[in-house]
Amino acid sequence: MIEINHLSMKFQHNTILDDINLTVAKGDVVAIIGSSGAGKSTLLRCLNRLEQPEHGELRINGQSFDLARLTRRELVRLRQQTAMVFQQFSLFQQKTALENVMEGLLVVKKYSRARAKEIALAQLRKVGMLARADYYPKQLSGGQQQRVGIARALAMAPQVLLLDEPTSALDPELVTEVLDVIKQAAQEGNTMLLVSHEMDFVRQVATRVLFLEQGKIIENGTAQQVFDNPVHERTKAFLARYNRRFEPEYVI
Amino acid sequence: MPNIFDIKLVFTQIPALLEYLPVTLAITLFSMIIGVVLGFLIALIRIKKVTGLSASLAVFVSFIRGTPLIVQLYLSYYGVPILLKYYNYYNDTEYNVNNIPALVFVLLAFSLNEAAYNSESLRAAMLSVDKKQIEAAQSLGMTPLQVLYRVQIPEAFIVALPTLGNTLISLMKGTSLAFVCSVIELTARGKILASGSYRYFEVYVSLALIYWGLTIVTEVMLKFIENRLSVPDAPIKKVGAVSHDRN
Repeated sequence: MIEINHLSMKFQHNTILDDINLTVAKGDVVAIIGSSGAGKSTLLRCLNRLEQPEHGELRINGQSFDLARLTRRELVRLRQQTAMVFQQFSLFQQKTALENVMEGLLVVKKYSRARAKEIALAQLRKVGMLARADYYPKQLSGGQQQRVGIARALAMAPQVLLLDEPTSALDPELVTEVLDVIKQAAQEGNTMLLVSHEMDFVRQVATRVLFLEQGKIIENGTAQQVFDNPVHERTKAFLARYNRRFEPEYVI
Repeated sequence: MPNIFDIKLVFTQIPALLEYLPVTLAITLFSMIIGVVLGFLIALIRIKKVTGLSASLAVFVSFIRGTPLIVQLYLSYYGVPILLKYYNYYNDTEYNVNNIPALVFVLLAFSLNEAAYNSESLRAAMLSVDKKQIEAAQSLGMTPLQVLYRVQIPEAFIVALPTLGNTLISLMKGTSLAFVCSVIELTARGKILASGSYRYFEVYVSLALIYWGLTIVTEVMLKFIENRLSVPDAPIKKVGAVSHDRN
């Protein structure tokens, strides 16, 4: 169970996040949608403190973290509870796919080499990248890199997986393979916070959808509620384009 | 044909010169190692902008880069004994300058010189490391120190390698200035040999050949290291390797 309380962030005079409060149950897949600049990525980045918010408390599994003031030790502990999948994959370029997945296990979790390798290979198998375990990131396609990125995050067995637009940097053909992997991870019961513009996917996989607008959550419900019966005008306008696809192009 | 230029001597005296090759190599290696370690520390302090220290190190780097190496050797050779005398005066000690081998002054000057130059190339290399990879390492839960030695240093080293190779080569040839501190290495040995035979030109040709050969060997070694470290564009297929190659 994850609880976010009073998360606020300002950049100079712009409010990026405005008093966000959120509770996520174990196994929930929470999708965050909204227009660019609404604060979606910032919200995720605050949760593992790649950005420092003004205020905000995060509770994971009974441990409480004051996001605005963390000691170094707390920071490392917080990051061990969360794992991030990045828009640009952000793999270690000098390491093979296998080494990328093993890295956190060896350095952070201090597992033995044999144990780390075993876990890493199992994760790579899950994302269908076992045959490419010895490839370097630049020898892989974008979709393959992102699958390794997901394996790297899942290998850490995090309490919550943070996915920051995991398919935005991919061409349409590669999106599917990555979405399949994410869906599989969701079905296995991983708790996830997912920022995405893939509305169809969000609809399929999310147990809850948030609509973020100017740093505020203005819509919070099941996928069906938010997509079919949005409350807020802004949400209606945003989803109009998406929903229009189901209408005929011409009516005679 | 008159024996104006004794080409045979150019080659026959090479073994006699090479007796002092170890001195040249020792100065080069020692100064390079100290230079890289010290240069890296300077680079880190300047990147982190440590108050006070950062500014004074910037002055140090500027001074070293702004003065000729031979002048720095003289400063070390004459300056250290003077400092020692002051130290003796104020602390009532009796350290004798003559007990310090001349090599120490040479190593001091070369190491500091290398550190200054390397600090700039290492600083640039550290700043070139992809921020996304640093964030990825942080998000895994690595401490700043772990991020430094698991991600930043390995990435930066590859970027810095060609420039470090460059300074290594110029350092190796720069060691020929060590004679001003009365250290006998390759070049000084050559001068001594020539003062007996008066065949100065021949000795300088021999020296030129030796330094050139050393540089070529260094270049080959650097190229080898670079190739080993760089990630190939296409995956290397291991023939017959037992691996986890099945899905």
